[in-house]
Amino acid sequence: MDFSLSDDQVLLRDTARTMLAKECPASLVRAHVDDVTVADALWSKLSDFTALGDGPASDLFLFVEETGYVAAPGVFFPTVAMFAPLLQALDHELLPSVLAGEATGTVALAGADGHFVPNDEPVKTFVPEADRVDWVAVVDTGPKVRIIPAGDVALRQTRLVDFSRRHFEVDTANVKSDTLALDPAAFDDVVAHTTGALAAEMVGTSRRLLDMAIAYAKERIQFDVPIGSFQAIQHRLAECSLAVERSIAAVQYAGMTLDASDAERFRAVHVAKAAAGTAAMRATKDAAQVHGGIGYTWEHDLHLYFRRALASEYWLGTARWHHDRLAELLFER
Amino acid sequence: MHLAWGEEEVTFHEELCAFLDEHTPPEFERGFDYAGEAGDTDESGEVVPAWARAWQATLFDHGWMIPAYPPELGGRNATLVQTLVYLEELARRRVLRSFHYPGYGIVSPSLLEFGNDEQKRLVPAAVRGDTIWCIGMSEPNAGSDLAGLQTRATRDGDRFIINGQKVWTSYAMVAQKCFVYVRTDPDAPKHKGISLLIVDMDTPGIEVRPLRHLSRAAHFAEVFFTDVEVPAENIVGEVNDGWRITQGSLAHERAGLWVEGVCRLDATVSGLIEVARRRGLDQDAAVRRDIATMYEQASSLRALGYKGFASFAQGSSAPEHSYMKMATSEIGKAACEYGMQLQGAYGLVADPERGEENGRWTNYFFMSFANTIAGGSSEIQRNIIAQRVLGLPRS
Repeated sequence: MDFSLSDDQVLLRDTARTMLAKECPASLVRAHVDDVTVADALWSKLSDFTALGDGPASDLFLFVEETGYVAAPGVFFPTVAMFAPLLQALDHELLPSVLAGEATGTVALAGADGHFVPNDEPVKTFVPEADRVDWVAVVDTGPKVRIIPAGDVALRQTRLVDFSRRHFEVDTANVKSDTLALDPAAFDDVVAHTTGALAAEMVGTSRRLLDMAIAYAKERIQFDVPIGSFQAIQHRLAECSLAVERSIAAVQYAGMTLDASDAERFRAVHVAKAAAGTAAMRATKDAAQVHGGIGYTWEHDLHLYFRRALASEYWLGTARWHHDRLAELLFER
Repeated sequence: MHLAWGEEEVTFHEELCAFLDEHTPPEFERGFDYAGEAGDTDESGEVVPAWARAWQATLFDHGWMIPAYPPELGGRNATLVQTLVYLEELARRRVLRSFHYPGYGIVSPSLLEFGNDEQKRLVPAAVRGDTIWCIGMSEPNAGSDLAGLQTRATRDGDRFIINGQKVWTSYAMVAQKCFVYVRTDPDAPKHKGISLLIVDMDTPGIEVRPLRHLSRAAHFAEVFFTDVEVPAENIVGEVNDGWRITQGSLAHERAGLWVEGVCRLDATVSGLIEVARRRGLDQDAAVRRDIATMYEQASSLRALGYKGFASFAQGSSAPEHSYMKMATSEIGKAACEYGMQLQGAYGLVADPERGEENGRWTNYFFMSFANTIAGGSSEIQRNIIAQRVLGLPRS
């Protein structure tokens, strides 16, 4: 098992880091609270990377870890990590234009209970960026898929505590459209791919929170010394960094198993999302605690990433939900 | 990034498995139960049983003791990745190379790096296990603060005279030789007055008093030095340069430990699933979630170990080792305790007729305290991570 990155992967990661540091500063994430169109300029840069939707999961995961680091708003994640893998599994004619960055899409799957599991309910919940994409892929049991122009579906935004990713309820009761059948096994892989990608995005957000906490612990002086010199702070951040490092490694491993179609891949994805969720919650709470009063203000940027981390934990299955699914695999039901 | 090993590793793995299938002593099948008086030692109560000594020699003679070493040192010039394959396979089979790690794990790499030609000649017997070594590091007042050690060695012509006391010295009761860390300059800053001496354990003035573990096994000892005379040429490296070697020694100890730690943890979690089944708890939602959580921790740690190994193999220092030491031992302790809890009132039963697996979970729980304390406690690991990995200022 070799976890070393290829030269191309190092280049991809470094390119993403440099580009996103410039194109998606905290000020953009903050401006997005009141004006979603500020994400359009970012999309014009991110659309150069949409081919990742058809490449190895390992590469996509490396890239979205960086979009998570900057809490990138917009249609990149639903288009590349949800819509594109689904189109690929369907061998759908829209795929080339999506990979070329010309068409965007999202996936509507969860029902009223919010779980990302196929159902036949007409109203789908937690559909990201449904008002900003060209297409909505609606998945019912079977799985059966309908690819619908976004303008044809009725939308209602579900306001979240996170402003960087917006979710919608999508009502498809009165929409007429062709129905495409999808092999259930292929669909399981699509869900694993998407879930793994969200875990990858989350570990980026966790890394951001940890980096902010470490930087603050080095500069904040109390009792005449940096607070980072106190063992209470050191041990808290050491444990936090362990959780974050574990989740980064689990995400990488999940990507490798998906790329190899390894029998372990479903376990590995549950592990990755659960580890990422646990780490994200830990990083959120520790970063806020280490920042003290300043981190509890609207004007400090911490909450932008704090909110994104929370929203990623609660979407596509919490750590607890993935632990329970993992138990089904470990105990063979 | 890729999952599969290359052809070189596959061939190596096949050869290893063929060797292990043929030569592994049947004693390993017994496992390591709570066995009362004998603890985790052989049934005979010996610290290093004869069969284990023969096994170590067999490994050496076939080039399987330390695969990365050349054949004359019990190896086969294996690559770093092959070494990982080797450690994993042994751990998977729960087969130990040796019942006494100081000789091959600490003394040999330290002598190869810091010793003179004469001292390097001690290495083959240390690796083969013909010589049993112990390490005189910890003292009553020098545990985590190792550099505070007070055992004195004063130069007297062509010899050193040692006076002082070591403690938690594993294998001292059976060892022929000891790596003794001594203070040679009491006036220098504490890290700069330490030297390393090789001492024969039958030298007059050495007294060994065995100390029992919490588990009742007697694996370590107190060692008292009273006017012990050691030839001056037994110094390893330069006078007052011993601290550098302790850092080297502990690094060698940590580098390979994660594989064993992770494999032990995997086996523990698999064991929990089996215990839950036997106790009829495998449909209990809380038990299932708890065990799945431990599985998540164990498997993400394994991934972190591999990730660290990849950067280590590329020549970077790998901070993952401190994470691995701390996390495998802490999570392992929690998992062992959980194994006891699954057994309810029988969780502490050490009677082979009554408890699960001869009190194995209790024994593992007792032994797990060694893992969170020895070789740098979890608190020391957190300090290391905070200061050397995260770059936080020293307190």
